Amino acid sequence: MTAGAAKLARAADDSIAIPGKRPMILHNDRPEDLETPVRYFDSWLTPVDAFFVRQHIPRPAPIDPAAYRLTVNGMVSKPLQLTLADLQKLPQATVPATIECTGNGRGFYTPKVPGIQWGRGAIGNAEWAGPRIADILKAAGASSSPAFLETDGADTGVAKTPDFVRSLPMKKAMHPATILALKMNGQAIPDIHGFPARLIVPGWDGTSSVKWVVRISAAAEANKGFFMNPGYRYPKYAIPPGSPAKPAELEVIEGMPVKSSITAPEDQGKLALGSIAIRGFAWAGEEAIERVEVSTDGGSRWRDAQLSAPKLPFAWRLWLLDWRPADPGYYTILSRATDSKGRVQPIVAPWNPSGYLWNAIDRVGVTVEKA
Amino acid sequence: MTGRLLWLAGVAAGAALGADPAAVARGQKEEARSCIPCHSLRLIHSQRLSRAAWNKELDKMAGWGTAIVDRDALLEYLEVNFGDDKAPPAPVMSQDGVKK
Repeated sequence: MTAGAAKLARAADDSIAIPGKRPMILHNDRPEDLETPVRYFDSWLTPVDAFFVRQHIPRPAPIDPAAYRLTVNGMVSKPLQLTLADLQKLPQATVPATIECTGNGRGFYTPKVPGIQWGRGAIGNAEWAGPRIADILKAAGASSSPAFLETDGADTGVAKTPDFVRSLPMKKAMHPATILALKMNGQAIPDIHGFPARLIVPGWDGTSSVKWVVRISAAAEANKGFFMNPGYRYPKYAIPPGSPAKPAELEVIEGMPVKSSITAPEDQGKLALGSIAIRGFAWAGEEAIERVEVSTDGGSRWRDAQLSAPKLPFAWRLWLLDWRPADPGYYTILSRATDSKGRVQPIVAPWNPSGYLWNAIDRVGVTVEKA
Repeated sequence: MTGRLLWLAGVAAGAALGADPAAVARGQKEEARSCIPCHSLRLIHSQRLSRAAWNKELDKMAGWGTAIVDRDALLEYLEVNFGDDKAPPAPVMSQDGVKK
Protein backbone atom coordinates (compact mmCIF):
# COMPACT_ATOMS: atom_id res chain seq x y z
CA MET A 1 0.00 0.00 0.00
CA THR A 2 1.38 3.42 -0.80
CA ALA A 3 2.02 5.74 2.12
CA GLY A 4 -0.93 7.92 1.23
CA ALA A 5 -3.32 4.99 0.96
CA ALA A 6 -2.14 3.62 4.30
CA LYS A 7 -2.75 7.01 5.91
CA LEU A 8 -6.28 7.16 4.52
CA ALA A 9 -7.05 3.64 5.73
CA ARG A 10 -5.71 4.39 9.22
CA ALA A 11 -7.73 7.57 9.45
CA ALA A 12 -10.89 5.58 8.67
CA ASP A 13 -10.19 2.80 11.17
CA ASP A 14 -9.44 5.04 14.11
CA SER A 15 -12.72 6.85 13.95
CA ILE A 16 -15.24 4.14 13.10
CA ALA A 17 -17.68 3.03 15.76
CA ILE A 18 -21.01 1.66 14.57
CA PRO A 19 -23.73 2.86 16.95
CA GLY A 20 -25.39 -0.09 18.68
CA LYS A 21 -22.65 -2.54 17.71
CA ARG A 22 -19.82 -4.00 19.74
CA PRO A 23 -16.40 -3.98 18.09
CA MET A 24 -16.94 -5.88 14.82
CA ILE A 25 -14.66 -6.97 12.00
CA LEU A 26 -14.85 -3.92 9.78
CA HIS A 27 -14.96 -4.86 6.11
CA ASN A 28 -16.55 -1.61 5.07
CA ASP A 29 -17.90 1.36 6.96
CA ARG A 30 -19.82 3.19 4.23
CA PRO A 31 -22.10 1.37 3.69
CA GLU A 32 -21.72 -0.94 6.67
CA ASP A 33 -20.35 -4.44 6.14
CA LEU A 34 -19.62 -5.85 9.59
CA GLU A 35 -18.59 -9.38 10.49
CA THR A 36 -19.17 -10.96 13.87
CA PRO A 37 -15.94 -12.11 15.55
CA VAL A 38 -16.38 -15.83 16.36
CA ARG A 39 -15.83 -15.23 20.08
CA TYR A 40 -19.27 -13.53 20.22
CA PHE A 41 -20.98 -16.76 19.08
CA ASP A 42 -21.52 -18.14 22.56
CA SER A 43 -25.31 -18.17 22.66
CA TRP A 44 -28.03 -19.79 20.55
CA LEU A 45 -29.55 -16.39 19.80
CA THR A 46 -26.98 -13.95 18.51
CA PRO A 47 -27.39 -10.64 20.38
CA VAL A 48 -28.48 -7.76 18.18
CA ASP A 49 -25.38 -5.76 19.12
CA ALA A 50 -23.19 -8.58 17.75
CA PHE A 51 -25.23 -9.51 14.66
CA PHE A 52 -23.45 -9.17 11.32
CA VAL A 53 -24.45 -6.46 8.83
CA ARG A 54 -24.37 -6.58 5.04
CA GLN A 55 -25.47 -3.48 3.14
CA HIS A 56 -25.29 -3.38 -0.65
CA ILE A 57 -26.15 0.27 -0.87
CA PRO A 58 -26.44 2.97 1.79
CA ARG A 59 -29.26 2.63 4.30
CA PRO A 60 -32.35 4.71 3.59
CA ALA A 61 -33.03 7.74 5.77
CA PRO A 62 -34.52 6.56 9.08
CA ILE A 63 -38.15 5.57 8.53
CA ASP A 64 -40.78 7.34 10.66
CA PRO A 65 -42.93 4.48 12.02
CA ALA A 66 -46.04 6.71 11.97
CA ALA A 67 -45.53 7.57 8.31
CA TYR A 68 -44.49 4.07 7.23
CA ARG A 69 -46.66 2.35 4.62
CA LEU A 70 -46.27 -1.09 3.08
CA THR A 71 -47.59 -1.20 -0.47
CA VAL A 72 -49.09 -4.55 -1.45
CA ASN A 73 -49.84 -4.64 -5.15
CA GLY A 74 -49.35 -6.47 -8.44
CA MET A 75 -51.57 -9.47 -9.13
CA VAL A 76 -53.90 -8.91 -6.18
CA SER A 77 -57.62 -8.07 -6.24
CA LYS A 78 -57.35 -5.49 -3.44
CA PRO A 79 -54.09 -3.48 -3.47
CA LEU A 80 -53.26 -2.25 0.03
CA GLN A 81 -51.32 0.44 1.84
CA LEU A 82 -50.70 -1.01 5.29
CA THR A 83 -49.54 0.93 8.33
CA LEU A 84 -47.31 -0.53 10.98
CA ALA A 85 -50.40 -0.82 13.22
CA ASP A 86 -52.17 -2.80 10.47
CA LEU A 87 -49.23 -5.21 10.33
CA GLN A 88 -49.18 -5.52 14.11
CA LYS A 89 -52.90 -6.44 14.11
CA LEU A 90 -52.33 -9.49 11.91
CA PRO A 91 -51.46 -12.78 13.66
CA GLN A 92 -47.78 -12.62 14.67
CA ALA A 93 -45.55 -15.61 13.99
CA THR A 94 -42.29 -16.17 15.85
CA VAL A 95 -39.56 -17.86 13.82
CA PRO A 96 -36.07 -18.69 15.06
CA ALA A 97 -33.91 -18.56 11.95
CA THR A 98 -30.28 -18.33 11.01
CA ILE A 99 -29.38 -15.73 8.43
CA GLU A 100 -26.14 -16.17 6.55
CA CYS A 101 -24.71 -13.87 3.93
CA THR A 102 -24.50 -15.72 0.61
CA GLY A 103 -20.80 -14.80 0.51
CA ASN A 104 -19.91 -15.86 4.06
CA GLY A 105 -16.50 -17.56 3.86
CA ARG A 106 -15.65 -15.94 0.52
CA GLY A 107 -12.22 -15.05 1.85
CA PHE A 108 -11.35 -18.76 2.05
CA TYR A 109 -11.71 -19.36 -1.70
CA THR A 110 -8.66 -19.75 -3.92
CA PRO A 111 -8.30 -18.18 -6.43
CA LYS A 112 -9.57 -14.99 -4.80
CA VAL A 113 -12.85 -13.61 -6.02
CA PRO A 114 -14.16 -10.05 -5.83
CA GLY A 115 -16.47 -9.06 -3.01
CA ILE A 116 -16.36 -8.66 0.75
CA GLN A 117 -13.73 -11.09 2.05
CA TRP A 118 -15.90 -12.57 4.79
CA GLY A 119 -14.46 -15.16 7.14
CA ARG A 120 -16.72 -17.24 9.41
CA GLY A 121 -18.89 -14.52 10.89
CA ALA A 122 -21.34 -13.22 8.27
CA ILE A 123 -23.98 -15.30 10.00
CA GLY A 124 -26.22 -15.09 13.04
CA ASN A 125 -29.26 -16.73 14.59
CA ALA A 126 -32.16 -14.64 15.82
CA GLU A 127 -35.78 -14.98 16.83
CA TRP A 128 -37.83 -13.03 14.31
CA ALA A 129 -41.48 -12.11 14.78
CA GLY A 130 -44.10 -10.51 12.57
CA PRO A 131 -47.02 -11.25 10.27
CA ARG A 132 -46.80 -14.06 7.74
CA ILE A 133 -46.44 -13.00 4.13
CA ALA A 134 -49.27 -15.46 3.38
CA ASP A 135 -51.63 -13.50 5.66
CA ILE A 136 -50.69 -10.16 4.12
CA LEU A 137 -51.26 -11.49 0.62
CA LYS A 138 -54.55 -13.06 1.68
CA ALA A 139 -55.73 -9.67 2.99
CA ALA A 140 -54.89 -8.22 -0.42
CA GLY A 141 -56.84 -10.93 -2.20
CA ALA A 142 -53.90 -12.50 -3.97
CA SER A 143 -54.87 -15.40 -6.17
CA SER A 144 -52.80 -18.56 -6.27
CA SER A 145 -51.63 -17.94 -9.82
CA PRO A 146 -48.70 -15.48 -9.49
CA ALA A 147 -45.44 -17.42 -9.53
CA PHE A 148 -43.34 -14.82 -7.71
CA LEU A 149 -43.34 -12.31 -4.92
CA GLU A 150 -41.23 -9.23 -5.60
CA THR A 151 -39.90 -7.29 -2.61
CA ASP A 152 -38.45 -3.78 -2.64
CA GLY A 153 -36.62 -2.14 0.23
CA ALA A 154 -36.56 1.61 0.90
CA ASP A 155 -32.85 1.75 0.12
CA THR A 156 -31.99 3.16 -3.28
CA GLY A 157 -28.77 2.99 -5.26
CA VAL A 158 -26.13 5.72 -5.45
CA ALA A 159 -25.36 7.09 -8.94
CA LYS A 160 -26.58 4.33 -11.27
CA THR A 161 -26.18 1.53 -8.72
CA PRO A 162 -29.19 -0.73 -9.17
CA ASP A 163 -32.08 -0.65 -6.71
CA PHE A 164 -32.18 -3.59 -4.31
CA VAL A 165 -35.17 -5.65 -5.43
CA ARG A 166 -35.53 -9.40 -4.97
CA SER A 167 -38.04 -11.99 -6.15
CA LEU A 168 -39.05 -15.14 -4.35
CA PRO A 169 -40.98 -18.11 -5.73
CA MET A 170 -44.56 -17.72 -4.44
CA LYS A 171 -44.43 -21.20 -2.91
CA LYS A 172 -41.61 -20.08 -0.57
CA ALA A 173 -43.25 -16.70 0.07
CA MET A 174 -46.45 -18.50 1.18
CA HIS A 175 -44.61 -20.84 3.54
CA PRO A 176 -45.90 -20.29 7.10
CA ALA A 177 -42.37 -19.48 8.33
CA THR A 178 -41.81 -16.71 5.77
CA ILE A 179 -42.66 -13.49 7.58
CA LEU A 180 -42.38 -9.75 7.45
CA ALA A 181 -40.43 -9.41 10.68
CA LEU A 182 -41.15 -6.44 12.93
CA LYS A 183 -39.10 -7.79 15.81
CA MET A 184 -35.63 -9.27 16.24
CA ASN A 185 -34.91 -11.07 19.53
CA GLY A 186 -38.02 -9.50 21.06
CA GLN A 187 -37.26 -5.88 20.25
CA ALA A 188 -38.12 -3.61 17.33
CA ILE A 189 -35.72 -4.31 14.49
CA PRO A 190 -32.91 -1.74 14.68
CA ASP A 191 -32.54 0.60 11.72
CA ILE A 192 -29.29 -1.05 10.64
CA HIS A 193 -31.16 -4.38 10.29
CA GLY A 194 -34.17 -3.02 8.40
CA PHE A 195 -36.53 -1.04 10.67
CA PRO A 196 -39.49 -1.18 10.73
CA ALA A 197 -40.04 -4.34 8.65
CA ARG A 198 -37.82 -6.84 6.94
CA LEU A 199 -38.52 -10.01 5.07
CA ILE A 200 -37.35 -13.22 6.71
CA VAL A 201 -36.96 -16.14 4.32
CA PRO A 202 -35.91 -18.97 6.63
CA GLY A 203 -33.33 -21.38 5.28
CA TRP A 204 -32.39 -19.25 2.29
CA ASP A 205 -29.40 -16.99 1.77
CA GLY A 206 -29.37 -13.67 3.58
CA THR A 207 -29.88 -11.63 0.44
CA SER A 208 -33.43 -13.02 0.20
CA SER A 209 -34.35 -11.33 3.48
CA VAL A 210 -34.85 -7.80 2.17
CA LYS A 211 -34.61 -4.97 4.72
CA TRP A 212 -36.74 -1.80 5.09
CA VAL A 213 -39.50 -3.44 3.04
CA VAL A 214 -41.84 -0.85 1.51
CA ARG A 215 -43.44 -2.87 -1.29
CA ILE A 216 -44.39 -6.45 -1.97
CA SER A 217 -45.92 -7.34 -5.33
CA ALA A 218 -47.40 -10.56 -6.63
CA ALA A 219 -45.97 -11.05 -10.11
CA ALA A 220 -45.99 -13.57 -12.93
CA GLU A 221 -42.25 -13.23 -13.54
CA ALA A 222 -39.14 -12.78 -11.43
CA ASN A 223 -37.60 -9.31 -11.27
CA LYS A 224 -34.84 -8.88 -13.85
CA GLY A 225 -32.69 -6.39 -11.93
CA PHE A 226 -29.00 -6.83 -11.10
CA PHE A 227 -29.61 -8.39 -7.70
CA MET A 228 -31.55 -11.25 -9.35
CA ASN A 229 -29.42 -11.57 -12.46
CA PRO A 230 -26.45 -11.79 -12.66
CA GLY A 231 -26.21 -11.05 -8.91
CA TYR A 232 -26.66 -13.89 -6.43
CA ARG A 233 -26.51 -16.70 -8.94
CA TYR A 234 -24.53 -19.90 -8.70
CA PRO A 235 -23.26 -22.23 -11.46
CA LYS A 236 -25.62 -25.10 -12.18
CA TYR A 237 -22.60 -27.26 -13.05
CA ALA A 238 -19.33 -26.94 -11.15
CA ILE A 239 -16.60 -25.10 -13.07
CA PRO A 240 -12.80 -25.22 -12.83
CA PRO A 241 -11.49 -22.76 -10.20
CA GLY A 242 -10.68 -19.40 -11.75
CA SER A 243 -12.77 -19.85 -14.86
CA PRO A 244 -15.79 -17.78 -15.87
CA ALA A 245 -19.28 -19.20 -15.55
CA LYS A 246 -21.61 -19.52 -18.52
CA PRO A 247 -24.30 -16.90 -17.87
CA ALA A 248 -27.03 -19.23 -19.18
CA GLU A 249 -25.99 -21.84 -16.61
CA LEU A 250 -26.18 -19.56 -13.58
CA GLU A 251 -29.14 -20.23 -11.29
CA VAL A 252 -30.87 -18.34 -8.51
CA ILE A 253 -29.79 -19.76 -5.15
CA GLU A 254 -32.57 -21.53 -3.25
CA GLY A 255 -31.90 -23.00 0.18
CA MET A 256 -28.46 -23.34 1.73
CA PRO A 257 -25.90 -26.14 2.09
CA VAL A 258 -24.98 -28.00 5.27
CA LYS A 259 -22.23 -26.31 7.25
CA SER A 260 -20.47 -26.20 10.60
CA SER A 261 -17.97 -23.65 11.84
CA ILE A 262 -15.54 -23.70 14.74
CA THR A 263 -15.90 -20.72 17.06
CA ALA A 264 -13.52 -21.84 19.82
CA PRO A 265 -10.64 -22.16 20.13
CA GLU A 266 -9.69 -19.37 17.75
CA ASP A 267 -7.48 -20.18 14.80
CA GLN A 268 -3.76 -20.10 15.59
CA GLY A 269 -4.45 -19.67 19.28
CA LYS A 270 -2.22 -20.95 22.10
CA LEU A 271 -3.81 -23.06 24.81
CA ALA A 272 -2.68 -24.64 28.06
CA LEU A 273 -2.66 -28.43 28.26
CA GLY A 274 -5.82 -29.56 30.06
CA SER A 275 -9.52 -29.53 29.32
CA ILE A 276 -10.27 -27.55 26.14
CA ALA A 277 -13.79 -26.80 24.92
CA ILE A 278 -14.11 -27.04 21.15
CA ARG A 279 -17.27 -25.19 20.19
CA GLY A 280 -19.11 -24.04 17.14
CA PHE A 281 -22.39 -23.78 15.28
CA ALA A 282 -23.93 -25.79 12.46
CA TRP A 283 -26.89 -25.18 10.20
CA ALA A 284 -28.33 -26.55 7.00
CA GLY A 285 -30.75 -24.06 5.46
CA GLU A 286 -34.19 -25.66 5.27
CA GLU A 287 -32.97 -28.85 6.92
CA ALA A 288 -32.06 -29.54 10.56
CA ILE A 289 -28.63 -30.53 11.84
CA GLU A 290 -28.40 -34.22 12.68
CA ARG A 291 -24.77 -34.61 13.65
CA VAL A 292 -21.48 -32.76 14.06
CA GLU A 293 -18.19 -34.62 14.18
CA VAL A 294 -14.88 -33.19 15.30
CA SER A 295 -11.35 -34.33 14.59
CA THR A 296 -8.32 -33.10 16.48
CA ASP A 297 -5.78 -35.01 14.41
CA GLY A 298 -6.31 -33.60 10.95
CA GLY A 299 -9.14 -35.95 10.06
CA SER A 300 -7.89 -39.45 10.94
CA ARG A 301 -10.33 -40.00 13.78
CA TRP A 302 -13.66 -38.28 14.35
CA ARG A 303 -15.77 -37.93 17.49
CA ASP A 304 -19.37 -36.84 17.82
CA ALA A 305 -19.89 -33.43 19.36
CA GLN A 306 -22.76 -32.70 21.73
CA LEU A 307 -25.53 -30.75 20.01
CA SER A 308 -27.76 -28.11 21.56
CA ALA A 309 -31.54 -28.53 21.53
CA PRO A 310 -33.80 -27.77 19.80
CA LYS A 311 -33.34 -29.55 16.48
CA LEU A 312 -35.12 -27.31 14.01
CA PRO A 313 -35.09 -26.51 10.35
CA PHE A 314 -33.88 -22.95 9.60
CA ALA A 315 -32.04 -22.44 12.91
CA TRP A 316 -28.54 -23.44 13.80
CA ARG A 317 -27.48 -25.81 16.57
CA LEU A 318 -24.51 -25.07 18.77
CA TRP A 319 -22.11 -27.93 19.36
CA LEU A 320 -19.45 -28.75 21.92
CA LEU A 321 -16.68 -31.27 22.37
CA ASP A 322 -14.68 -31.52 25.57
CA TRP A 323 -11.13 -32.20 24.41
CA ARG A 324 -8.31 -33.33 26.70
CA PRO A 325 -5.17 -33.59 24.60
CA ALA A 326 -2.55 -35.90 26.15
CA ASP A 327 0.44 -34.07 24.75
CA PRO A 328 1.51 -30.55 23.91
CA GLY A 329 2.03 -29.62 20.28
CA TYR A 330 0.30 -28.22 17.23
CA TYR A 331 -3.14 -29.63 16.44
CA THR A 332 -5.38 -29.28 13.41
CA ILE A 333 -9.02 -29.29 14.50
CA LEU A 334 -11.76 -30.04 11.97
CA SER A 335 -15.56 -30.00 12.15
CA ARG A 336 -18.02 -31.75 9.85
CA ALA A 337 -21.82 -31.51 9.93
CA THR A 338 -24.52 -33.85 8.62
CA ASP A 339 -28.13 -32.74 8.15
CA SER A 340 -31.50 -34.46 8.42
CA LYS A 341 -31.50 -35.05 4.67
CA GLY A 342 -28.18 -36.89 4.83
CA ARG A 343 -26.11 -34.09 3.32
CA VAL A 344 -22.54 -34.09 4.65
CA GLN A 345 -20.23 -31.08 4.76
CA PRO A 346 -17.60 -31.57 2.03
CA ILE A 347 -13.81 -31.38 2.29
CA VAL A 348 -13.73 -28.97 -0.65
CA ALA A 349 -16.28 -26.21 -1.24
CA PRO A 350 -17.01 -25.83 -4.96
CA TRP A 351 -15.24 -22.73 -6.26
CA ASN A 352 -17.56 -20.27 -7.98
CA PRO A 353 -16.88 -16.84 -9.50
CA SER A 354 -18.81 -14.90 -6.85
CA GLY A 355 -17.49 -16.86 -3.88
CA TYR A 356 -20.90 -17.95 -2.63
CA LEU A 357 -21.95 -20.76 -0.27
CA TRP A 358 -18.58 -21.63 1.29
CA ASN A 359 -19.22 -24.75 3.35
CA ALA A 360 -16.01 -26.76 3.41
CA ILE A 361 -15.22 -28.73 6.58
CA ASP A 362 -13.99 -26.06 8.98
CA ARG A 363 -10.40 -26.07 10.14
CA VAL A 364 -8.41 -24.28 12.81
CA GLY A 365 -4.89 -24.81 14.03
CA VAL A 366 -3.92 -24.44 17.69
CA THR A 367 -0.77 -24.86 19.74
CA VAL A 368 -1.19 -26.67 23.04
CA GLU A 369 1.51 -25.84 25.55
CA LYS A 370 2.49 -27.47 28.83
CA ALA A 371 0.61 -25.77 31.64
CA MET B 1 5.73 15.36 -4.13
CA THR B 2 8.99 15.03 -6.00
CA GLY B 3 9.67 12.23 -8.44
CA ARG B 4 12.21 10.74 -6.05
CA LEU B 5 9.73 10.57 -3.18
CA LEU B 6 7.15 8.96 -5.43
CA TRP B 7 9.74 6.40 -6.45
CA LEU B 8 10.46 5.66 -2.79
CA ALA B 9 6.74 5.30 -2.07
CA GLY B 10 6.52 2.81 -4.91
CA VAL B 11 9.39 0.76 -3.49
CA ALA B 12 7.81 0.85 -0.03
CA ALA B 13 4.64 -0.60 -1.53
CA GLY B 14 6.59 -3.44 -3.06
CA ALA B 15 5.64 -2.20 -6.50
CA ALA B 16 6.10 -4.61 -9.33
CA LEU B 17 9.17 -3.98 -11.41
CA GLY B 18 8.18 -1.73 -14.23
CA ALA B 19 5.23 -0.09 -12.44
CA ASP B 20 5.28 3.61 -13.14
CA PRO B 21 5.32 5.41 -9.75
CA ALA B 22 3.82 8.54 -11.27
CA ALA B 23 0.93 6.53 -12.70
CA VAL B 24 0.44 4.77 -9.36
CA ALA B 25 0.25 8.15 -7.60
CA ARG B 26 -2.23 9.43 -10.18
CA GLY B 27 -4.22 6.24 -9.69
CA GLN B 28 -4.48 6.90 -6.00
CA LYS B 29 -5.86 10.37 -6.69
CA GLU B 30 -8.33 8.84 -9.14
CA GLU B 31 -9.43 6.39 -6.47
CA ALA B 32 -10.13 9.24 -4.05
CA ARG B 33 -12.03 11.14 -6.73
CA SER B 34 -14.13 8.41 -8.29
CA CYS B 35 -14.64 5.74 -5.59
CA ILE B 36 -15.17 7.68 -2.34
CA PRO B 37 -18.47 9.30 -3.39
CA CYS B 38 -20.24 5.91 -3.19
CA HIS B 39 -18.32 3.83 -0.65
CA SER B 40 -15.40 3.85 1.74
CA LEU B 41 -12.04 2.70 0.45
CA ARG B 42 -11.92 -0.24 2.83
CA LEU B 43 -14.12 -2.11 0.37
CA ILE B 44 -11.26 -1.88 -2.13
CA HIS B 45 -8.29 -2.18 0.19
CA SER B 46 -9.51 -5.42 1.79
CA GLN B 47 -9.48 -7.26 -1.55
CA ARG B 48 -6.62 -8.90 -3.42
CA LEU B 49 -7.39 -9.37 -7.10
CA SER B 50 -5.58 -9.94 -10.37
CA ARG B 51 -5.24 -7.06 -12.82
CA ALA B 52 -7.90 -8.69 -15.00
CA ALA B 53 -10.29 -8.99 -12.06
CA TRP B 54 -9.72 -5.34 -11.04
CA ASN B 55 -10.33 -4.33 -14.63
CA LYS B 56 -13.65 -6.14 -14.53
CA GLU B 57 -14.55 -4.36 -11.30
CA LEU B 58 -13.82 -1.02 -12.98
CA ASP B 59 -16.15 -2.02 -15.83
CA LYS B 60 -18.84 -2.80 -13.28
CA MET B 61 -18.37 0.50 -11.45
CA ALA B 62 -18.34 2.48 -14.71
CA GLY B 63 -21.61 0.78 -15.58
CA TRP B 64 -23.00 1.90 -12.24
CA GLY B 65 -22.29 5.54 -13.01
CA THR B 66 -18.71 6.12 -11.88
CA ALA B 67 -16.97 8.56 -14.24
CA ILE B 68 -13.40 7.28 -14.13
CA VAL B 69 -11.06 9.77 -15.82
CA ASP B 70 -7.60 8.24 -15.42
CA ARG B 71 -8.57 4.59 -15.70
CA ASP B 72 -5.16 3.20 -16.71
CA ALA B 73 -3.53 4.87 -13.71
CA LEU B 74 -6.24 3.61 -11.37
CA LEU B 75 -5.76 0.07 -12.61
CA GLU B 76 -1.99 0.37 -12.18
CA TYR B 77 -2.48 1.62 -8.61
CA LEU B 78 -4.88 -1.23 -7.78
CA GLU B 79 -2.58 -3.88 -9.18
CA VAL B 80 0.50 -2.52 -7.39
CA ASN B 81 -1.20 -2.18 -4.00
CA PHE B 82 -3.99 -4.75 -4.00
CA GLY B 83 -2.90 -7.39 -6.51
CA ASP B 84 -3.56 -11.08 -5.93
CA ASP B 85 0.16 -11.59 -5.22
CA LYS B 86 -0.15 -9.45 -2.07
CA ALA B 87 -0.89 -10.91 1.36
CA PRO B 88 -4.45 -10.29 2.59
CA PRO B 89 -4.62 -7.54 5.21
CA ALA B 90 -5.12 -8.33 8.88
CA PRO B 91 -8.73 -7.89 10.03
CA VAL B 92 -9.57 -4.45 11.36
CA MET B 93 -12.02 -4.00 14.21
CA SER B 94 -14.47 -1.16 14.54
CA GLN B 95 -14.58 0.74 17.81
CA ASP B 96 -17.17 -0.12 20.46
CA GLY B 97 -20.46 1.48 19.44
CA VAL B 98 -22.42 0.18 22.43
CA LYS B 99 -20.52 1.62 25.39
CA LYS B 100 -20.83 5.21 24.28
